[in-house]
Amino acid sequence: MNELFFYFIALSACGFAFGAVTSRNIFHCAVWLAMALLSVAGIYLMLDALFLGVIQVLVYIGGIITLFIFAIKLTARIDDRSIRQTNEQVLISAIAVSILLIFLMLGIKLSSWAVFAQDHIFSLKQIGKSLLTTYVLPFEFISLILLAAMVGAIVIGKVKK
Amino acid sequence: MISLNHYMFLSAILFCIGVFGVLTRRNAIGILISIELILNAANINLVAFQRYLGTPDGLGQIFALFVVAIAAAGSVVGLVLVIAIYRNGKNIFVDNFNLMKW
Repeated sequence: MNELFFYFIALSACGFAFGAVTSRNIFHCAVWLAMALLSVAGIYLMLDALFLGVIQVLVYIGGIITLFIFAIKLTARIDDRSIRQTNEQVLISAIAVSILLIFLMLGIKLSSWAVFAQDHIFSLKQIGKSLLTTYVLPFEFISLILLAAMVGAIVIGKVKK
Repeated sequence: MISLNHYMFLSAILFCIGVFGVLTRRNAIGILISIELILNAANINLVAFQRYLGTPDGLGQIFALFVVAIAAAGSVVGLVLVIAIYRNGKNIFVDNFNLMKW
């Protein structure tokens, strides 16, 4: 049952991701991406990472996808189907990516990991504790980066008079 | 039983789809969409390692959280850059972005 669910989610994630990179209509790409991210949230839930699954839905689908759709609508005319959306390197990129995928698969297949018998489920309480004790410095740096990105976005996006 | 390898294979496939998108898209927003896919593939790996190998203090999940935050910041700046370039040139196809070239 669990396995069937995993294959279902994995297949849908790959399919939606493929749609997101190949669809001709850029607005459809954003919607495919939202579905792919939702599938990845399902993968997080299967890995018992509840908090991360919720964050994925909130931040990615609620925030970033909305931003993408705004950007697509602000740069009008680009969701026109008559405009070519891919460059001339499609064939060579497909070959290169397939080779990369084969190497990655071989690497995964040939390496062995010291997997412990019991699962390591990390609860929400532990995440909060860990964020504010062991990883408090990177946590604060993240807020600095977000502030910098916000200020930078306003400065770059401002219309100069 | 689903093993660690299953998740790593899924992550590898998603990563390769993302790389394919980055290489072939003409549209700058399409490239940003592909980058989000790549970051998600990396995140799946991190969480799977956390679950199966048990990193200290939940390093895998915490790191994945940081990746989400950085991805949000990155895509905000990227999209604003796209809009600023569009405002100047009425075009967001990367093969026409040569204003930094001389």
